[in-house]
Amino acid sequence: MALTESRPTTGHTADGSEQSASFSNSPMTVLGSGDHKSIGVVYIVAGLLFGIAGWIASAVLSAHQASDFLSDNAYLTLLSHSRVGLILLAVIPIFIGIGTYVVPLQVGANTIAFPRAAAMALWTWLISSAVLIVANCIDGGLTGGSEKAFVLGLLSLAAVVLSLSLAAICVVTTVVALRTPGMRLDRVPMTSWSLFIACSVWLITLPAIVVELLLIWIDVRYGNGQTFAAEGVPWQMVSWISTQPQVYAALLPAFGILADVIATMSGRRLPQRNLFLGAVGAFGVLSVGVYAQRVLYPEYADQAVWVGMSILIVLPVLLMFAVVGSALKAGKPKLASPFALSVITLLVALLGTLAGALLVISPLELRETDAFAMGQFNLIVGAALIGAVAGVMYWAPKITGRKAVDAIGGLNVLVLLGGAVLAGLPMCIIGFSTRFTGLEGATDALTWVSAIGCALLAAGALLGLLGLLSAARRGAEDAGQNPWESGQTLEWACDSPPPTGNFGELAVVRSAEPLLDEEA
Amino acid sequence: MAAHVLPPAPPVQRPRVLLVATAFAAAASFMGFVVLLGIYLNFRASVVSAGSTWLPEGAKIPLQQPNATFMTLLLSVISMAWAVNAISKNDRVNAYLALGLTISFGIASIVMTWYLWTIMGLDIDSGAQGVLIYTITGAHVAMMIVSVVFVALMSIRALGGQFNSRQHDGISAAALYWYVMVAVFALIWLIIYVTK
Repeated sequence: MALTESRPTTGHTADGSEQSASFSNSPMTVLGSGDHKSIGVVYIVAGLLFGIAGWIASAVLSAHQASDFLSDNAYLTLLSHSRVGLILLAVIPIFIGIGTYVVPLQVGANTIAFPRAAAMALWTWLISSAVLIVANCIDGGLTGGSEKAFVLGLLSLAAVVLSLSLAAICVVTTVVALRTPGMRLDRVPMTSWSLFIACSVWLITLPAIVVELLLIWIDVRYGNGQTFAAEGVPWQMVSWISTQPQVYAALLPAFGILADVIATMSGRRLPQRNLFLGAVGAFGVLSVGVYAQRVLYPEYADQAVWVGMSILIVLPVLLMFAVVGSALKAGKPKLASPFALSVITLLVALLGTLAGALLVISPLELRETDAFAMGQFNLIVGAALIGAVAGVMYWAPKITGRKAVDAIGGLNVLVLLGGAVLAGLPMCIIGFSTRFTGLEGATDALTWVSAIGCALLAAGALLGLLGLLSAARRGAEDAGQNPWESGQTLEWACDSPPPTGNFGELAVVRSAEPLLDEEA
Repeated sequence: MAAHVLPPAPPVQRPRVLLVATAFAAAASFMGFVVLLGIYLNFRASVVSAGSTWLPEGAKIPLQQPNATFMTLLLSVISMAWAVNAISKNDRVNAYLALGLTISFGIASIVMTWYLWTIMGLDIDSGAQGVLIYTITGAHVAMMIVSVVFVALMSIRALGGQFNSRQHDGISAAALYWYVMVAVFALIWLIIYVTK
């Protein structure tokens, strides 16, 4: 890693011409690149593709619950893979991709910290993810029956987590150590701030999965296989990543993205900015869920810390609502698709956190079945996906140099809103069936509605990808440096797409919205 | 072959980059051990509360070797701090000596743990005890190896004249990771070796 400090200046092609980090670079150029922009785009595209697969798997799971067509083994494999896959193969990697692309631009850095490590993390993640999917397909993974495929699944999942951790270190180090002069930590743009908090939370929680996989592997390889590798135990040991409060950590960067989008679209500085910074920080602290696992803390669900965190986490979301509301009141927002997607992200996130608060209230008996928790998972991960797509549509002109087709974004607003609500709320309603009679008859219909919602979320991820590709097409309108015309942060001060090295000389930053200072 | 498109080096050498990244990596490593030790304590409590002894019959973990390892690692903390202090004063001879000593202490600790494994009489397939103890101590040996390699790489860079009183980020980063590694051993020593 230390070699980075003496990295040679190689931002030029062999014939000496300057190399532009264009979206349309050939695959071979991307393969050999340490440019944060190329790395970020690969994360985003691959994450959206994995997201499509993950939501289709979730739709199949919901359909199975209504009509029971999968074997028990296939159901468990699909369940574990869709849960883990949506978080570690889709949502977190898309946010890492956005962070890898955008954070150096937002903080005024010429490159991401440790570009070679970032490139290594990307390719390790991508290859490990592919191997993990293969392992699941050949009766492996966390619930598989074939020992060799099971081990393959364990090792590839560990590699996925380690590579994401390495990528998170690159992003968070860029925020902490590569900021341009004058940009104090409280002046970093919201996306960079939320990724700073999110990467910190991921770094102190995700290693728990690696050590648990290590325990399982040693038990199955050298032990008697009856403790940590016993049937059903591996999935129990890892499933905490998809339950509250840890699942909230996957949502964290969406708050920063939506704040940046809403500030830009409203054309004004975000009011009570420090309140929003604090709310994101509080949400991060309350989403640390490494303790909430049976293997570590068997009675966690009966303890005040879990109940308290699950209820308190609603407060930061309400604070963010208040800040966003005052921003919208102060300005006249442009009704572009990233704006609508950002508002929806916040609404669905509020629904998800409220569902989480209800889940811990014992008299409601919502933990008697898995339905309510599954609905809450769909809401939270759905909100994270919507936030990620909002970010993709917002920065698509910067990434490609051309404006995206906003009709795709507009359609996606409806698809993602419908998808998240339909995927989540019906399952939450089913969760009340143990408490209220009369719901049993509607269970199948509600489960089918949830399956349709999951399929819509898959379609939303596909439309997000198409939105990005629509901006990359030939003949689209040139984006210029500041396509939204009201960009406030430094990424809108460089060309679209940014050249290698990003910036020339930067002025000293005096506030959190340096481009507005320039106008003044 | 495609053109080489690595971005240009930053115009200003930024201090603290490696130190910050190492701090996050060290925090992540530390949390991994916290979780492992938490699982260990949970399993041990359940076995003991059921009226059994934690270690299976025939297994014995002597305290001499862990104590010697702990003392060695405590000495390595002093030598590592000595290296950081020396390089920050441009005292290269003392820095090289201290770095060499630190690496030696690290290798000695690895060998000591290896030896302990051979005399414990604990089979890895004896159940949760074997899996947990070998996983935790093995993961710590891996951390020690990473620390030794990190210090060795920074020593080579120091020998190449890359560090001085104004820029000793690499040595400080290696020292930080080393201190965390020793702190983890302190927890292992207390939880696994002393209170068994």
